[in-house]
Amino acid sequence: MESEVVRAEMLLAPTMAFKKVQTADKYPKGQSRGRQWKHLRHLLQAADATSLPPDRPNYLNIQSPPSIYPPKRYCDVTGFEAPYMDPRTKLRYADPEVFRQIRMLPEEYVQRYLAVRNAAVVLR
Amino acid sequence: MSSLCRARRETDFARFPDSAPIVIDNGASTFRIGWAGEAEPRVSFRNIVQRPRHRSSGETVTVVGDTDPALMKYFDCTRTSIRSAFDDDVVYQFEYMEYILDYAFDRLGATSEVGHPILMTECECNPSFSRARMSELLFETYGVPSVAFGIDDVFSYKYNQKLGNCGEDGLAISCEFGTCHVVPFLKGQPVLGACCRTNVGGSHITDFLRQLLSLKYPYHVANFTWEKAEELKKEHCYIAADYMSELQIFKNNKEEAEEKTRYWQLPWVPPPRDEPPSEEELARKAAYKEKAGQRLRDMAAAKRSQKIADLEEKLSGLEDLMDHLDGADESQTTSILGRSGYLSQQEIKSDILKATQSLRKAKGESNGNEENADASGADKYPLVSVPDDMLTPEQLKEKKKQILLKTTTEGKLRAKQRRAEEAALREKQEEERRTENPELYFDELRARYLELSEKVDQRKRQKVNGNNNSSGAVGRGERLNAAQKERMRLLTTAAFDRGKGEDTFGMRDEDWLVYKKMSKENEEDDDGKDDDESELARIASKIQEVDPTFVNKHDAVEPAPDPHKVRPLTADDFKIAIGIERFRCPEVLFQPGMIGVDQAGIDEMVSISLRRLLEDESVKERLCQSILVTGGSSLFPGMIPRLESGIRQFRPYLAPLKLVRAADPILDAWRGAAAFAASSNFGKQTFTLADYREHGESLFHRHNIVYTL
Repeated sequence: MESEVVRAEMLLAPTMAFKKVQTADKYPKGQSRGRQWKHLRHLLQAADATSLPPDRPNYLNIQSPPSIYPPKRYCDVTGFEAPYMDPRTKLRYADPEVFRQIRMLPEEYVQRYLAVRNAAVVLR
Repeated sequence: MSSLCRARRETDFARFPDSAPIVIDNGASTFRIGWAGEAEPRVSFRNIVQRPRHRSSGETVTVVGDTDPALMKYFDCTRTSIRSAFDDDVVYQFEYMEYILDYAFDRLGATSEVGHPILMTECECNPSFSRARMSELLFETYGVPSVAFGIDDVFSYKYNQKLGNCGEDGLAISCEFGTCHVVPFLKGQPVLGACCRTNVGGSHITDFLRQLLSLKYPYHVANFTWEKAEELKKEHCYIAADYMSELQIFKNNKEEAEEKTRYWQLPWVPPPRDEPPSEEELARKAAYKEKAGQRLRDMAAAKRSQKIADLEEKLSGLEDLMDHLDGADESQTTSILGRSGYLSQQEIKSDILKATQSLRKAKGESNGNEENADASGADKYPLVSVPDDMLTPEQLKEKKKQILLKTTTEGKLRAKQRRAEEAALREKQEEERRTENPELYFDELRARYLELSEKVDQRKRQKVNGNNNSSGAVGRGERLNAAQKERMRLLTTAAFDRGKGEDTFGMRDEDWLVYKKMSKENEEDDDGKDDDESELARIASKIQEVDPTFVNKHDAVEPAPDPHKVRPLTADDFKIAIGIERFRCPEVLFQPGMIGVDQAGIDEMVSISLRRLLEDESVKERLCQSILVTGGSSLFPGMIPRLESGIRQFRPYLAPLKLVRAADPILDAWRGAAAFAASSNFGKQTFTLADYREHGESLFHRHNIVYTL
């Protein structure tokens, strides 16, 4: 290990004297680790939704509902208010100049613009 | 700066008695650890783990927190990324959490054991599995005697309550890293049933900024790292007092927008200027060119002489053959012919003719083609002048063909001649008119030119539809031009019977004309166009003769400027403008719909929280007079005024409203927790490993500490 790295103390030691179970014992090398965790969404579905009474506050039911106001539409490229939507790319745009611009965009960029507001086409 | 220098290892761990609690603010962005009762956390670092491979030894190492980028050159990070134990605001990856706790306890100075009670912060209504796994980790891996969990926003509120910033009843608005929360307080305790959460936070703002910049400047994507975006966000982003009017400023008022725009100049080195080539170089190049040209010319000459020699040889051979044949009788002729591979003398003669012609061509002589054609006129059509009764039926057929050919070629020639004569005549007439009245003639020419050019233009417009923009992109949605439309109409109508009765199509000859119209290329149209264009060119040249300043616009338009011309890059291309993004990105806190999160923004969350609180209007009014704004994402300038105007919209007219920013929106949660852990009540609120074993998971459903300060 380079002396600079050692001096900076940036690496975590593999064993710590204050631990009762060392990481190496917990996750032995060679044994396939696999994925030992699940996404939060799945964990929530598995745990709280079924076991908790619905009137008690829990992680899921304290979420805010959607806004009571209709969502405002903004131009995907410039951020200005967008009265129009391009029927081909589904991008929102503010004025004809932006329209010309988005018609020249390659498909990849169109999808990236859509992905910003979570509206991209996702193939599963 | 703090991100670059690593936390020093504390040395006074042994000085603390076993009962002294360790306080951990486990935030999604930053991890802070310290001792109960102290004013500042001892160690704080970014709550992330990286597991790169050491380049020289190849082993996987673990790095917690931010690192010096200069040292990362020793590690191969291509197959790993920066990991966090958090999803939104819930810890779900305990493998990473273990690395983080390892590092934290190590920095705090733990040597043989972590024998202290622990107070750890968590989010509102942390799912019980997360609590369970966290306490398992603390009990089993670190041997912690007892643990308590508390909500970070509540600690922040309580700490500010102690400082006198807010009252016993109030609201905490917290804008954190992964989420935003609103928590109401009654009699100093949080009402969890009435709190609410929107899954938008500082990380979303940073991500949004990064996405927007990399879409705006695709060439500089590599510069927009997460860290840089975070830095830009902290330094330049602000919250617009009124989003719509701020947008209008940027749309309509260029000077003011320019004033508000920030620029980030990327390092840029001008490319080396190419020197014009020196005299010597030019001479050298010219000499080289000359040499190469000479070589090619030599090669061509050699080839030509070779060809001539070949042809001459062949010709002499053939002439010899003919001489032989002339002097031979019947039987010898056939044998000679058989040997030479020719079928008849005729064939040899034609071969000789061909060879002489090509020889002449090769020698570059003018091969009197005209006389040849005239002379061969009789040869070409040999049967035409022979009377019918001397010919066999096949020859008769051949003769008919030849007559037809002859008449058509002659007709064509005559037509050509006539056209030439006509043109000459017209030319002459024009010349006469010109000499008679030059002004009138010139005007007439101009008028004709305008008329024709209008016609040509119109045809062009029809062909290239007006809707078709300069980009030239014609896609699915584009409109067809008039001619294409007519064709589509014909095609569709042809598919259906016009009358319900019998099909009369084809009764009249005109019916078939529809197919001509349907056919894709309307040749007639194209011909007309060509005529018009040539006429236009002729007139233009005539006008130019008279008026040298005249410019034929159809010529001028033709060489369109090349749109893909490579422009040398300048420093401006390396300048990143951050204008509208400055307030567009933080706006997601108020309008989560901008990044596709279908939840209410933080101003509306207050009204939702108040609605969930089943209390009188008077109580709600009291709460609204003590609203605390905390969390790292509340540090944007303009946050408080915007929140105030936003909340006012949901409150009755003239209802009192008071918002305060927390004393230190980032550290107050840890400070509140440290003060809480130092109080005498803390010991009663913790639970131990034995409690956990006895009650199991239900312990975590019940575990709610009473916040007292």
